[in-house]
Amino acid sequence: MAHRLTTCTFCGVGCGLYLETADNRVIGVSPSMSHPANQGKICLRGWHIHEVISTPDRLRTPMIRKDGQLREAGWDEAFDFIARRLKEIRDKHGPDSIAFLNSPRCSNEETYLLQKFGRTVIKTNNVDHGAGVYSNNSTDVLMEMIGVPATTNSFNELGKSDVIIVSNVDLGKRLPTIAGAVIRARLDGAKVIVTGTRSHRVVKNADIFLQNKPGTDALLYGAMTKVIVDHGLMNLPFIKKHCSDFDNFLSTIVNFDLLEASEVCGVQAELIEEAALAYAGAGSAAILYSTGLEYGSTDAIKAMVNMCLVTGQIGKEGAGLFALTEHNNLQGACDMGMLPDRLPGYGQVTDAAVRAEFEKKWKTGIPAKPGIAAKWVLSDRGKGSIHAVWLCRYDPVSTAFFTNAEESLKQCDLVIMQHLFLTESAKYSHVVLPTAMFGEEQVTFTSGERRIQLAKQVIDPPKGITPGWHHIMQVAQEMGADWRYESAADIMDEIGTVVPFYSGASHENLAREYGRQWPCTKDKPLGTSFLFEDGIPGQCFKFMRVERHDELFATSREYPFLLVLGHSLYYWHRNVLIRHSETLKREYQVPLLDYPEGFAGMHPDDAKQLGVRDGDRIRLRSDSGSIVTVAALSHEVRSGTLFMPFFVKQVEQQIQGPGRSGLHLIKVNVEKEAQ
Amino acid sequence: MNPDDNIYLPRIAVVDRVSDEIPEVKTFYWHFEDDADQQAFRKFRPGQFAQVSIFGVGEFPASLPPSPTEDETFFTVRSVGSCTAALHQLKPGDKFGVRGPYGNGFPMEEYYGRSLVFVAGGIGLIPLRSCIVYALKNREKYDRILVFYGARSPRELMYLPSLREWERSAGIECRLTVDRKGPEDEWEGNIGVVGSLFKIPGTNIPVDNTIAFVCGPPVMFRFVIRDLLGLGFREQDIVSTLERYMKCGVGKCGHCCIGVAYVCTQGPVFTYEQIRNLGEDI
Amino acid sequence: MKARILDRRDVLKIVDLLKRQGYEVIAPFRGRGRDTFFDTVSDENRERIELHLPNPYYPPKRYVLPHIEPLLNAHSGNGGIRIQPTFDDPKRAIFGIRSCDVAGIYHLDRFYIGREFRDTYYERRRKNLFLVNMVCTDPGEDINRECFCMCADTGPASRDHFDMQLMDLGDEFMAVAGTARGEALFDDPIFTRGGEGHLKRRAEILNGVRSHFKNTTRSWFSAAVRQITQGTVLEKTWEEVGDRCLECGGCTYVCPACTCFTVSDRKVAPGEVERVRVWDSCALLGFTRMAGGHNPRRAVHDRRNRRFFRKLEHHFIERELSMACVGCGRCAAVCHGDVGMPSVVEMIRRATMETDNNES
Repeated sequence: MAHRLTTCTFCGVGCGLYLETADNRVIGVSPSMSHPANQGKICLRGWHIHEVISTPDRLRTPMIRKDGQLREAGWDEAFDFIARRLKEIRDKHGPDSIAFLNSPRCSNEETYLLQKFGRTVIKTNNVDHGAGVYSNNSTDVLMEMIGVPATTNSFNELGKSDVIIVSNVDLGKRLPTIAGAVIRARLDGAKVIVTGTRSHRVVKNADIFLQNKPGTDALLYGAMTKVIVDHGLMNLPFIKKHCSDFDNFLSTIVNFDLLEASEVCGVQAELIEEAALAYAGAGSAAILYSTGLEYGSTDAIKAMVNMCLVTGQIGKEGAGLFALTEHNNLQGACDMGMLPDRLPGYGQVTDAAVRAEFEKKWKTGIPAKPGIAAKWVLSDRGKGSIHAVWLCRYDPVSTAFFTNAEESLKQCDLVIMQHLFLTESAKYSHVVLPTAMFGEEQVTFTSGERRIQLAKQVIDPPKGITPGWHHIMQVAQEMGADWRYESAADIMDEIGTVVPFYSGASHENLAREYGRQWPCTKDKPLGTSFLFEDGIPGQCFKFMRVERHDELFATSREYPFLLVLGHSLYYWHRNVLIRHSETLKREYQVPLLDYPEGFAGMHPDDAKQLGVRDGDRIRLRSDSGSIVTVAALSHEVRSGTLFMPFFVKQVEQQIQGPGRSGLHLIKVNVEKEAQ
Repeated sequence: MNPDDNIYLPRIAVVDRVSDEIPEVKTFYWHFEDDADQQAFRKFRPGQFAQVSIFGVGEFPASLPPSPTEDETFFTVRSVGSCTAALHQLKPGDKFGVRGPYGNGFPMEEYYGRSLVFVAGGIGLIPLRSCIVYALKNREKYDRILVFYGARSPRELMYLPSLREWERSAGIECRLTVDRKGPEDEWEGNIGVVGSLFKIPGTNIPVDNTIAFVCGPPVMFRFVIRDLLGLGFREQDIVSTLERYMKCGVGKCGHCCIGVAYVCTQGPVFTYEQIRNLGEDI
Repeated sequence: MKARILDRRDVLKIVDLLKRQGYEVIAPFRGRGRDTFFDTVSDENRERIELHLPNPYYPPKRYVLPHIEPLLNAHSGNGGIRIQPTFDDPKRAIFGIRSCDVAGIYHLDRFYIGREFRDTYYERRRKNLFLVNMVCTDPGEDINRECFCMCADTGPASRDHFDMQLMDLGDEFMAVAGTARGEALFDDPIFTRGGEGHLKRRAEILNGVRSHFKNTTRSWFSAAVRQITQGTVLEKTWEEVGDRCLECGGCTYVCPACTCFTVSDRKVAPGEVERVRVWDSCALLGFTRMAGGHNPRRAVHDRRNRRFFRKLEHHFIERELSMACVGCGRCAAVCHGDVGMPSVVEMIRRATMETDNNES
């Protein structure tokens, strides 16, 4: 038996854990006591990772579709097929007819090569990661306002925060290790403030719960900021020294009157005021939100960043903004340029100077036109322009809600799938390449606290199976690219030359301690535990105006309820890794078994008024569609709202009517159906 | 079972025939491939259960509806989860696994000389069938035998041929009821919950020196218990069998433990007095 | 029990002796930072075995009850099914197992092979397992912040259930044989007879170590046993515990005395299935959910309550002749919401005091 320290592959916390192996099998898992992100704790998913890694049900040979059936094929045959078909489709429809989508669980190395393949071999910017189906809001806002699209501080600093605000995320279900850090911080004296529509486990451990109406986050944080301004609690020296556009921002703050906001958000004014004063008065205060916000607008994130800047709660230990990532390498996928408009390191593809730099390093031209985002590739094939899709460990048919993935893939001339298992999406694939699993290859992942970690190889992959990056390199070579990477470490070395904040992150350096938090440069090889720890350079922060869009959530007498379509809370329920673990499968199946046709969560008070009992069939009607579902009464749901999780896919189309995809907040009325 | 046996090793069984009982419920007649297993198994007691394996899907506990006095071994199973659904796919000649019998069973010998009142709802008749058949086979050992059985509708009455036979038979008083009947149902009998049978004029339920067997869905269970206590039954004279999520059936996996009791080894048969003192919801 | 003395420099020779007898020897090593773990001793890592270090977090119970374990393979084909049990029961010795974990294995012994329906898989592994217990004598290294073996009455030195016990006396170690096969090792010349002085030194060291434990509340521990047995713990307390539980299952997985498992079938190849058992946890929603949807323990605080009930209820302690809590403190270290055993005992105590104050 042997033990090796590695990092968990599920969510963005990046917990350190040890895998125990015997005879090339993973036989157990236990958390690291010393890893700064998790300090001896892991969640249910981590505790069962060995079940996933040891699953016997793996893809073992490449497959090519012949006569409608996927049939076993040789590796060379598969690579030839892919290269030939890609060339044909590129020649016929142009490079922008091909799209590359990966899972935000792919390694940095694999992600980097996939986007490089798209940009330099095919010559398209149609590259995106699976979480891009929802939004890259956080990336864009943080880039603009603080210049760095990532969590500013470290998870273990939450133990040093005086005030922690948890905005609209059920940490207990989605990022339990962070939930634990928040609960323990409170036991040690921190004040915990939760905002959001749903009640959840962390709320039970909070000092203040601002249960605002869905869609009113920007207004709520705007009002809190105005309270801070009105009380003269702004950090003026900080603002003057480090922030631009303050006056412009200040001129809009009149739109966020406390009493009016209280009315519209449905939250007591005293509570809003108390929360704002606690935040402003704290020695260090942190704001936590998820980048997987369901109905979180860019405005909501802007409002939170404005509040942070007004009080100067950034650039110090225990403060800052925590843009939590719910996939283990969502941060890394963005860092690696798996974005249709940004190159590795976040330079814009439209910026000629940035492109020139890359063209010099990559020794080839790259396209200037931003690519088509995953959401549109999977919704309508970019208005029908996409003819081929490369899916790297990504199963959109199972997990990309708010799209029309099944139909889109069906219409493609070529679907290339790299995966561990025969997924739902493989049904529409023309070629399937089995890849090495977590634990079978030595690669890196970047967690939600910018921690680049080396996930060790602890066992050999099944016979004949190579890492996913290797397949990409093989196809690139077939198509004439002179790519020669001996190992993932070689790829990381190249990443260091194009992404400045990864320049010190060689595998050798990452193998020490617990990885390195970027910026990890040649000058700062030990990395950066919180951003701006060496001082805040000049005027590097920028305030932004927040507009009000009350029409999005204003209900009417005719449609008095706000229906929230939530996917994140139940994201893992459909995840292909979960389905290959004995225990996780059982646990995550419970709501699917209890409610095979889905459900609408409803507050018991609302139910009582409508005469609806738990389990009754109800009809929800919007101005463009309707659906019958089952009422699930829960005190977690805010009165006046309905919450529908997204494991039944037809829901959205039925309720919104055709062609109105993408709204996550829908105004509806409710009727009890005949039982 | 030999103490050195591997407690988790199922024996191979073969399906002889399958009969549709009521919607979603089928009866599977089967025998062990190895006759020694068959002989050992047939020493089961009414109220015991067995672990049924569908390889590739899993294992689940199933009560034993036959009486040990009968020749055939069979399960009657409702399709509710993945394992039971897989069992429902089996056809004559198909093979599966069986371990058991497990659990305490009803102490039928202790009840000699007493009257037996069976109250069952829906598929709650499955475990009680074993006792009823056993008691009829040993008719002279018991005083009166009464069966009160209710289902949601006439089409959901289990073991209908047996019920009709019991209705006609002299040694047993059998009363049936349904919650409701559809327009197409031919039903002349009582309509109402099981407890309503107790109140039909002329019904004379013995209480002294009587054991009441109660088995059925949770709501029915609660109301029938209330009625029986109202009739004057003592808590220790009401017996039932409990259902629980189980993985091993032999007191190891921990899933079925209620309070301090392992349902698989200390149960599944408990008196109502014991159930009330388990300290947890059932 | 017989005792012998051996030179400090000879302690690791016990590992060699066991290896020569054909044992795979497991010993504790250091990982990164505070991390430690049990691992197989090889020629390469022998010198890195640590005699004093924080007790590894991943409990050695997995050598008798693996985290995941194939029970059998079923092959179907040609109209038949062939079932093959799969045993993995090498001759194995744990060198340096702590007293709390010895108590844990004893509890598992009682549970798995102490009554009817003896668990074949457990029994075969247990028969082949040799335990060399190391007494926790170095307060700086051996005793964690969370340790409370004094309360659970399992340490710092086991009284029984080991094959051999080692205790650090400084330049020498005292070895105590707990079984005949342990005593048989004394034939080797590294062991010599000791004297009164050694016994005195042992007693002094143990007294010293005991004083290093946090002044934990032994009496409150028995008070918690009483309250749980009598069912007088307030519902409010269980709800508070439930509110802080994030349902990870960690406390049950790291617990040396937790026994629950689930069984699942995995498809290996067409016509081939393996049936595995994996550790399960009463913290989880699916633990008691029945097909069809009825779940008697749906609320999280009911599930949390279960763990403490199972560990501290008097009936179970009597049934296994040992408590299912051995005072190792792992559940406290693993818990996201700080509702491990010591905290919960403390919460029960506090709630009782409040009630008492209100009543008086």
